[in-house]
Amino acid sequence: MLSDEDLLGAARGGDEAAFTALYRRRQGAVYRFALHMSGHAAVSEDVTQEVFLALLEGGGRFDPSRGSLLSFLYGIARNLMLRRVEKKPTQDTEEVATDEDVLDDLTRRETIEAVRSAVLSLPAQYREAVVLCDLENTSYEDAAAALDCPVGTVRSRLSRGRAMLAQKLSAKAVRSMP
Amino acid sequence: MREDKVLQALQALAENDRDRQASFAVEARLLSNFRSRRASQRWRWVAAAAVAAGVVLAVLLSTNRASKPVVSVAPAPTQVPRQEAAPVVAVAAPAPRKAARKMARPQAREVVTDFFPLMDPAPPFERGQMLRVQLPAAAMRTVGLPVREDHLADPIQADVLVGEEGMPRAIRFVRFDVP
Repeated sequence: MLSDEDLLGAARGGDEAAFTALYRRRQGAVYRFALHMSGHAAVSEDVTQEVFLALLEGGGRFDPSRGSLLSFLYGIARNLMLRRVEKKPTQDTEEVATDEDVLDDLTRRETIEAVRSAVLSLPAQYREAVVLCDLENTSYEDAAAALDCPVGTVRSRLSRGRAMLAQKLSAKAVRSMP
Repeated sequence: MREDKVLQALQALAENDRDRQASFAVEARLLSNFRSRRASQRWRWVAAAAVAAGVVLAVLLSTNRASKPVVSVAPAPTQVPRQEAAPVVAVAAPAPRKAARKMARPQAREVVTDFFPLMDPAPPFERGQMLRVQLPAAAMRTVGLPVREDHLADPIQADVLVGEEGMPRAIRFVRFDVP
């Protein structure tokens, strides 16, 4: 199987099949990253499209020594998302922690949506770390390349993001109690 | 709430969304855009090729006017004076259709010289395109290759390496040898 880098090189040389293969291989991850960052399918589709257009235009800027192509794509998506977030900032509501557990039945649709909602309410810098590392299983190194920060920063943001999520989910549990 | 519960919650969300992806419409729009770009790039190359061919001709002909005639020898790449600097590479290739018909021979060997730089000093070369052009044989003299006086006007084929910016960087000459 051709590597992402090989496919990118061929695509930039005009090989449509290579571009299609690269798109199909990586669009899901880019789309989900945008979805978990924005909460909107339409926005995520726009961002996915813009990411791959940017790849065609600026794919020459990709440097394999700085991270994988996927992290490069995440980086483009992140910049696009930040521009949108700046226009429409997320409301970060403070929650009160309790010992209640909202996660007893994770198969329930409402619970999944509660987790999604909690992730969306995180400040962007913590949300992107949680989305990349916990939802997309990106390595700390690739996440650092995508977020343009040191690995240690990724770890600390992730830790802080998880702690905030714990608070938010606990509070939701309290509110949903009869 | 403990961190392991949070991770469990996130894992459930990730699992739930695992198959979510952009609709086919996004792929269709991107492919349409890709094809448009490729078509416009092709036109840019054609324009660049036309400019490059013109520049090559101008450079070669102006240099030719200033250079002294060299000893007349048939343009055989194996006899070129710059043999060490420009080793000859033989590549099997189908003969041009007209030549093949005229000579009634099925195959010809494409013999090419090494590349001769057209820019001195040459800027770094990253990407470019090779263009096959037809030039008068006199063009070979400009890089030191011998051509007989009575063959100066003969058409010959050459490959011009054009940089991404559209400037011709190097040239090599082609001859078709029939075995």
